[in-house]
Amino acid sequence: MEAWLEWARGPAFVFAFTFMVLGLVRHVVLTFAEMYRTMRRAGDKSLAYSKILVTTIKWLVPVGKIRNEVLYSVTSILFHIAILIVPVFLGGHIVLWARGLGLSWPGIPNEVADVLAIVAIVTAVALVVQRVSARPTRTLSRFQDYALPLLIAVPFVTGFLVMHPAMNPFSYEAVLLVHVMSANLIFVLMPITKLSHAAFMPSVQFVSELGWKWPADSGTRVAVALRKEEEPV
Amino acid sequence: MADTKRKYSFYVEEKAHEVQDRPRKFLEAFAAVLEHSSYGLALDVFSRVSAKCGLCAASCQLYQTTGEDRDIPCHRSELLLRVYRRYFTRSGAIKDRFTNGFVLTDEYLDEMAEAVYRCTACRRCKNNCPMGIDHGLLTHLARWLLAEVGVIPKALVVAVRAQLEGVGNTSAIPPKALVDTCEFLEEELEEIYHVKVKFPFDVEGAEYVFFPAVSDYLLEPDTLMGNAAVMHVTGGSWTIGTKNFDGINYGLFYSDRIMERIVKNVVTEVNRLKGKKVLVGECGHATRCAWAIPTFCGPDAPPVVNFLQYTHEQLMKGKIPLKEQLIEERVTYHDPCNIARTGRITEEPREILKAICKDFVEMVPNRAQNYCCGGGGGLVSIDEIREFRTNLMGKRKADQIRATGAKYLVAPCANCKKQLKEVCEDNDLEDVKVIGLHDLLLRVIDFGTDASTSDEESSGVQADQSDIAQEGGT
Repeated sequence: MEAWLEWARGPAFVFAFTFMVLGLVRHVVLTFAEMYRTMRRAGDKSLAYSKILVTTIKWLVPVGKIRNEVLYSVTSILFHIAILIVPVFLGGHIVLWARGLGLSWPGIPNEVADVLAIVAIVTAVALVVQRVSARPTRTLSRFQDYALPLLIAVPFVTGFLVMHPAMNPFSYEAVLLVHVMSANLIFVLMPITKLSHAAFMPSVQFVSELGWKWPADSGTRVAVALRKEEEPV
Repeated sequence: MADTKRKYSFYVEEKAHEVQDRPRKFLEAFAAVLEHSSYGLALDVFSRVSAKCGLCAASCQLYQTTGEDRDIPCHRSELLLRVYRRYFTRSGAIKDRFTNGFVLTDEYLDEMAEAVYRCTACRRCKNNCPMGIDHGLLTHLARWLLAEVGVIPKALVVAVRAQLEGVGNTSAIPPKALVDTCEFLEEELEEIYHVKVKFPFDVEGAEYVFFPAVSDYLLEPDTLMGNAAVMHVTGGSWTIGTKNFDGINYGLFYSDRIMERIVKNVVTEVNRLKGKKVLVGECGHATRCAWAIPTFCGPDAPPVVNFLQYTHEQLMKGKIPLKEQLIEERVTYHDPCNIARTGRITEEPREILKAICKDFVEMVPNRAQNYCCGGGGGLVSIDEIREFRTNLMGKRKADQIRATGAKYLVAPCANCKKQLKEVCEDNDLEDVKVIGLHDLLLRVIDFGTDASTSDEESSGVQADQSDIAQEGGT
């Protein structure tokens, strides 16, 4: 068990985390490159930058959007807050970073982390329940849509148990192994599933707008490519 | 008969049924579009980030009414994204081969065709998508690709044929008839308002070259008289080109190829007349297409002004004298999606209306969050789906109109007007009059002539006798 845990915290973590970072950076770089290319080719080079930026910020902090669908939005926002804050600002995690890379930043009190972990678990389950119970989402959902929230809940459940050995009915090492490995799995899945929206979010509103920024004469060029330039309507 | 072969809820031309090998042709068109246009980035990002959260369903007026799975915007978009992933991304090709063996079939294209013409491309769902997925863009693209394999609603393609290969406009109005119509409108203006207003033709060097929805010349003469009257009192330099006087562009609804040709024809006419700006009449999609002029023609293209913007500017400058007696009846405003969804024209019409109406009320929701009239995306031109348009698409809108209690529903868009009239007819809202903004404005412009008696007969040429009697009684 010790050896497995060492492996999970060592090479497996390094691989998964690097895979995530490189994968997400690749998404960002390629997206920006393509955005640049689209604008360079566009016939109309005007873009409502400030307006799109405002929309982007409104969706990154979507408090104003809650009224659209109150229950779902509140659940989703709480879920995101919890899963973003706890892993990054947990004291125990910061210690690990300090030990490994010498990096350190202020953390949150463990009591707050406890509350947020519970919020993460409850909202993850609630998201799946809402997904199953609403007709549109039930129709739309793929396997990953159900699996990802539940998978994301795993490191929070195990992390909570690790932090509270008195409540933990299982072996400390086993739970810690599941904790680290489930997190590693999430890291690997980040760039290759819808979780990649973490990297795309700041650019999606621009991308959306750029979808309409076609090159000058693009219609004619398509016609030529399809040998339809002489074709009657 | 066509009915035996009828696959879709809309008519297509006979020759559309004879297209062979559609999946291959669809993919060839897709490949050409990806290479020569700029949809690739959006398709790639949308297919990665789509979270399937269902918020689009909650914001779609069609889904709210039908509750059918196929009417969920995200579901419709997935029809196209799936083809993109399978045939144009490596990971998608591998994944589909291993997991489900998806291949593009004729039946799949038929499903897509039905789905994308059950959407008005109003893009309300886009505003409510956390991932910024523009389902309207995907509907737009899917329709283009389907058009390349022959699936185009007959109503749209027939109009475009008249515009590009026939008389030169979608309503097939010969230039001579146009001039006659405008002379008739000049006489009407003189008779009712005692003012000599000119519809200027082919004036070289005018500041504005006017492109209304050409159907206005047949269906909305009051709007045009209002337009001309505003130009008259403000001393605007404008002209109507006899070679091309149609702002309608159905290319927006089914093909960028067509859209580009029509847009370029507009620019050609402006250049022929040495005009400076494109002035679009009260028409949402025509305005949006005109805004696409630089997209297709580059940055040197003439600037575009919507008539609402022109009138608003002149009114704020005090160039449009108003009578003391304003519009008494309750008035509400419908935001045409094509000008309001991105927030580009929302306040100008409201400020005009507030200046000319005593009882202006807002419809809820409004502006960028408005509901489509139900006839957007060219659907209004497809007569055979009226039942769908007015009952399924238009039901929510009808409720919203009813809630305002307004007598006049102002919709500065030819398509919205036609659709909303039908929505009102089919939803027991006969008392509501759907009207253009300039129709109302015309009634309160003070021409400084002896027009004191004109108030009661101001419903114009379109009103029939009973209308005039009714208005006279109020």
